[in-house]
Amino acid sequence: MKQFETAGRQVSRRQLLAGSAALGSLGLMAGLTGCGGAAQASQAREIGFWHLLSGGDGIKMQAMIAAANQANPGFRVHPTVLAWGPPYYTKLAMASAGGRPPELAIMHASRVPGYAPGGLIEPWDLDLLAENGVRPGDFAPRIWEKSQQDGKVFSIALDSHPFIMFYNTDVAGKAGLLETNGQLQQVSTPNDFKAMAREMQKVTKARGLSFGYLNLGSQMWRLFYTLYKQHGAEIVLTPGQEMQADRDAAIESLEFMASLFDDTIAAKSGDINTGIAEFVRGDSGMLFSGVWELPTMKKAKLPVDAATIPTLYGTPASYADSHSFVLPRQLTADADKRRDVYKFVSDILKGSLAWAEAGHIPAYQPVVQSPGYRQLSPQIHYANAADIITYDPESWFSGSGSDWQTYFAEHIQNVLLGRDKATTGWDGFVARTNDLLSRPNPV
Amino acid sequence: MSSSTLSRQASQPGTTQSRNANAGLSLRSKRDALSGWTFSAPFLVFFLVFLVWPIIYGFYMSLTGKSLTGANDSLIGFANYSEAFADAGMWRSLGNTLYFTVISTVPLVLVALLMAALLNMNLPAQWLFRLSYFAPFLLASTVVSLFFTWMYNPQLGLINDFLAKIGLPKVAWLNDPNVAMWAIVIATLWWTVGFNFLLYLAAMQNIPAQHYEAASLDGAGGWRQFFSITLPQLTPTTVMIVLLQILASLKIFDQIYQMTAGGPGGSTRPVVQYIFETGFTGYRLGYSAAISYIFFGLIVVVSVMQFVITRRRSA
Repeated sequence: MKQFETAGRQVSRRQLLAGSAALGSLGLMAGLTGCGGAAQASQAREIGFWHLLSGGDGIKMQAMIAAANQANPGFRVHPTVLAWGPPYYTKLAMASAGGRPPELAIMHASRVPGYAPGGLIEPWDLDLLAENGVRPGDFAPRIWEKSQQDGKVFSIALDSHPFIMFYNTDVAGKAGLLETNGQLQQVSTPNDFKAMAREMQKVTKARGLSFGYLNLGSQMWRLFYTLYKQHGAEIVLTPGQEMQADRDAAIESLEFMASLFDDTIAAKSGDINTGIAEFVRGDSGMLFSGVWELPTMKKAKLPVDAATIPTLYGTPASYADSHSFVLPRQLTADADKRRDVYKFVSDILKGSLAWAEAGHIPAYQPVVQSPGYRQLSPQIHYANAADIITYDPESWFSGSGSDWQTYFAEHIQNVLLGRDKATTGWDGFVARTNDLLSRPNPV
Repeated sequence: MSSSTLSRQASQPGTTQSRNANAGLSLRSKRDALSGWTFSAPFLVFFLVFLVWPIIYGFYMSLTGKSLTGANDSLIGFANYSEAFADAGMWRSLGNTLYFTVISTVPLVLVALLMAALLNMNLPAQWLFRLSYFAPFLLASTVVSLFFTWMYNPQLGLINDFLAKIGLPKVAWLNDPNVAMWAIVIATLWWTVGFNFLLYLAAMQNIPAQHYEAASLDGAGGWRQFFSITLPQLTPTTVMIVLLQILASLKIFDQIYQMTAGGPGGSTRPVVQYIFETGFTGYRLGYSAAISYIFFGLIVVVSVMQFVITRRRSA
């Protein structure tokens, strides 16, 4: 056996391994105690928390978790960050189906209808929530309404994150498009909007508007659904029945979108990265994107302001979703940990001013009404979106990052590129949706 | 040499000595067998648990309406199969997979052969060529996908920038349904051709030099030698490379998922992605399993066809 010389005597490899294991254990204990004292380490309950927030959002959330952990020595929340979209939702569904998911998870509110009916998530206890100082009246009505399925509350919204319009105040100013209060002039027709974009293009010499959409169904859907809902139209998805939608409103919205990509108003060949890069470079005056892009704009030190997407078809509407807390179904739920989860969620909601700094509109109204939020600019200029937000039509297959949005892109991208007629694209999408509706409902 | 052969050689029938020897060797043979099974056990356990059982259970699942949410796992017979045969999405993704297999296998074999033939001409700095041809194969699919996505970027990409400089129109590499699959083939070719190249190079270097010397004495030129000596000698290698390449191309998923996610307009969605979507993001595990088995059947058909063709050729 190979011997190792230490401190004047020989030790065998077995002794060395045993010693290393013991040291490792000590190190682990030291690590735990280092988090807040020996007494705390022995009592703190470990709470698993899965979320899909990365980049600036992820950093904010990590800070909020750290603050909640520090304020509550009884528990320690361990976040696990998974990639947005299918990677996150497939893992969450599988973990919940197996009954061993984390104690808490974040979901988009629009995905809840795919999880709640199959029992993958459990309803919240409003009494326990009230014990922690959070009540239904603390949420904006649209957001609270969305948190329910069949009369039970399945999600507690942290925010709403609408699709909005960023604009470069320097470019808008030079184009003579700013009001006396420093904000962009309001337009109310598609032609007026296009005229405004062309004015901005004259300043930038490149484009008026940036909107990256290529190969990204969610981006195409966000703008389409905003415009579609501005017609006052609905989409109803009922399994076993054909999709109900206003075809004329859909075609008009798609034709307007396609007319933007003339390489003067907006670039025909822009994906999301090039769209954002173009706006950040100052090569366009406006950007259609989600509120979550605000940290990128701030970091770039761009003279930026923001507003909801102009109401071009009569009815104010803005596509949005909400990051919401859900309770994945546990095989055996630990009552103490459950109580910790309620405390943690209420702490995060009450501290969501920090979350607002990342661009999101807090769902918890006492924060929105606080002086701190009123001072956040440009957040305050699109806070009205909370009153006009519109979530995806409900079904097991719709929602943020769903395949349904990918199918939308499959039929609509060629319309936006000018290769297909809007009628062809829309009818193809409707047929695809009807195909999904005709299949067995897996939830 | 196996232990049973040993015992046959050692035993002389009809004598006590041989019976004793036989019994002793038989015991030894049993012991050897036990040792063999014990050493093989870890692999066998993994083989049974992670391959045989999933194959059986997967087929059973394809006969149920099983959902990822756990709902409805009752037996529904071959309903999933009949639904799949009528599913335009499945046929389209199968078509995309076959299309990719055809248009990728041909260049992946020919270019590898060409590269190996060039390198076999005793060029200086051979190590540099070997390294540069094979090195891309060591990269992860995510890395390859990421930098090809940037190179293909219609506005900022290196390739379109180059095209513009030489006066050619820009190409929407990953956004044009007619071009996207070819763009993925180009990326795949760059990434994986090194493996086939290495196999070809090894086989070429094993061809005896005397063959070429004899051919030279008979007045055969370089092309004649290539077609009459090199190519025929490479036949077994070519058969193996084509077989491996077809199987690898049929399983295409990673780079497509990362570069186009099956778009634009579903023009690059391979059947493996369709299986993933129906099962994991569409929750329908039973249906997804049925499509997997249809795809499995296709692979078996392709393999048998290839086996028959190569056997006929070698017979």
